[in-house]
Amino acid sequence: MKKYLLILLTGLLFISCDKDPDLEDHMLDSGLRFDQSVYEPEKFLVSYANPNPTPAEAQRPVLIAIHGYSASTFEWSEFRTWAGGRTDFAISQVLMGGHGRSYQSFKEATWKDWRQPIMEEYERLEQAGYQNISFAGSSTGCTLVLEMLANGYFNNRIQPRHIFFVDPNIIASDKILSLVGVVGPIIGYTEAEHTAGEAQYWYRFRPYETLKELRSLLNKVRKELQKGITLPPNTSLKVYKAEKDDVTDPVGAVLIYKGVKTSDGKTVDISMIPSNLHVFTRLEHREGTITTQDGDNQQQVFEDMATRLVR
Amino acid sequence: MKPKIKPKALLLALLFPFFLASAHGQQKPLDVGIRFQKTLDMYYENGLTAQYALSERWAVGAHYISSRLGSAMGSNAIKQDNIFVSGAYLFRPQRSLRPFVRANVGFFRADYEAEIFDNLPNTSPLASLETGLTYPITPPLKVTGSVGYNAITGDGTKGPGTLFPVFYQLSFTWNMFNQTAP
Repeated sequence: MKKYLLILLTGLLFISCDKDPDLEDHMLDSGLRFDQSVYEPEKFLVSYANPNPTPAEAQRPVLIAIHGYSASTFEWSEFRTWAGGRTDFAISQVLMGGHGRSYQSFKEATWKDWRQPIMEEYERLEQAGYQNISFAGSSTGCTLVLEMLANGYFNNRIQPRHIFFVDPNIIASDKILSLVGVVGPIIGYTEAEHTAGEAQYWYRFRPYETLKELRSLLNKVRKELQKGITLPPNTSLKVYKAEKDDVTDPVGAVLIYKGVKTSDGKTVDISMIPSNLHVFTRLEHREGTITTQDGDNQQQVFEDMATRLVR
Repeated sequence: MKPKIKPKALLLALLFPFFLASAHGQQKPLDVGIRFQKTLDMYYENGLTAQYALSERWAVGAHYISSRLGSAMGSNAIKQDNIFVSGAYLFRPQRSLRPFVRANVGFFRADYEAEIFDNLPNTSPLASLETGLTYPITPPLKVTGSVGYNAITGDGTKGPGTLFPVFYQLSFTWNMFNQTAP
């Protein structure tokens, strides 16, 4: 019996070693093609594009847009394109730490590293004098903003004006994430199915170390929601959640509804969207046909966000 | 109209081991007590448990646990109820420390409280397997600990999202009918 156990343990040890995937040059994971915001931050970040705003520019809304786990700034590019030449608000597309670079940098980053560039952009904008700063998060981008709200990051700072969440990640749809501590060291990484277009902007391979970080973050924020998160005075939160989503479970919207209150004790605004796409506002490079409903969902949410921003 | 756990059904299910015990003339142990359960990465759900020994090795039971008696007490956790019946097989029935396996089937319901979530699934059948150990602390008091796996969970497109796979539980039970038996 002991002999078989020893063989089994040796086998497990063997298959749990050296678990890095084979990377191809066209993949974001390869380290050969970084997110464009790394090379040209002034095209993505308002703090770089306009570090010395005039008093009028400082009053205009700036929206910090944050992508999700394993994604990159591309996830919010369609909103920038949709906004086109509008000058009544500006968009800062932040690249989360460890993202948009290489498999190795992703593997080494913690969820606090993912959060760091969001805080840096907020602080640069604040120091530059911007007065009207809002957030738009998709998927895990929302989780990080919720964590910042819960940890008191905005105390003694300029309060964010509006917060928009698209498909917030509170509970992963794949419940096996809860077992990543056991399964992770054996499998090493998981692999996502991407179209050729998506492979340029999303990591295909997810090291189990990053899945452990994601699990830690989700558990932390779920517990904070359980205790209750109060928005700063004059900050609004609007959640847009697809009714079916195989990445972030729609029940996360229920947890936000129950767990977040405005400063005067009211519930936050939730819209359940008739969609089965994860981050339904991103339509480019999707596999399969984009329906009229998908297009309408995106347009309506973009219009709603813009209207609220400049209200 | 979404199905709800009706109090009458709950009562009937929980009394199921008592009916069996009565039918057998109260000769076998009927363990009744409280169950503390934690789901990995989810809630504490506590409640009642009852298990009747059909023979030395086989037992049937009924259980009700809820976040109402756990994580949702004084917090924003979702209120959710689990009711299930079980069949268990005990190994080493003559020893103090008895390993067992148990199969559970039942019904799960979560209360999302607001109409905007009416399109989200909030009910599900339950099917799980448990394995653990039971130990008579001092008869008729018994403690049972186990780890279980839910075969049916939510996946974002169907099934309630707070139904997770792995749980562990601790039960303290009192043998109602056969107080000298361990």
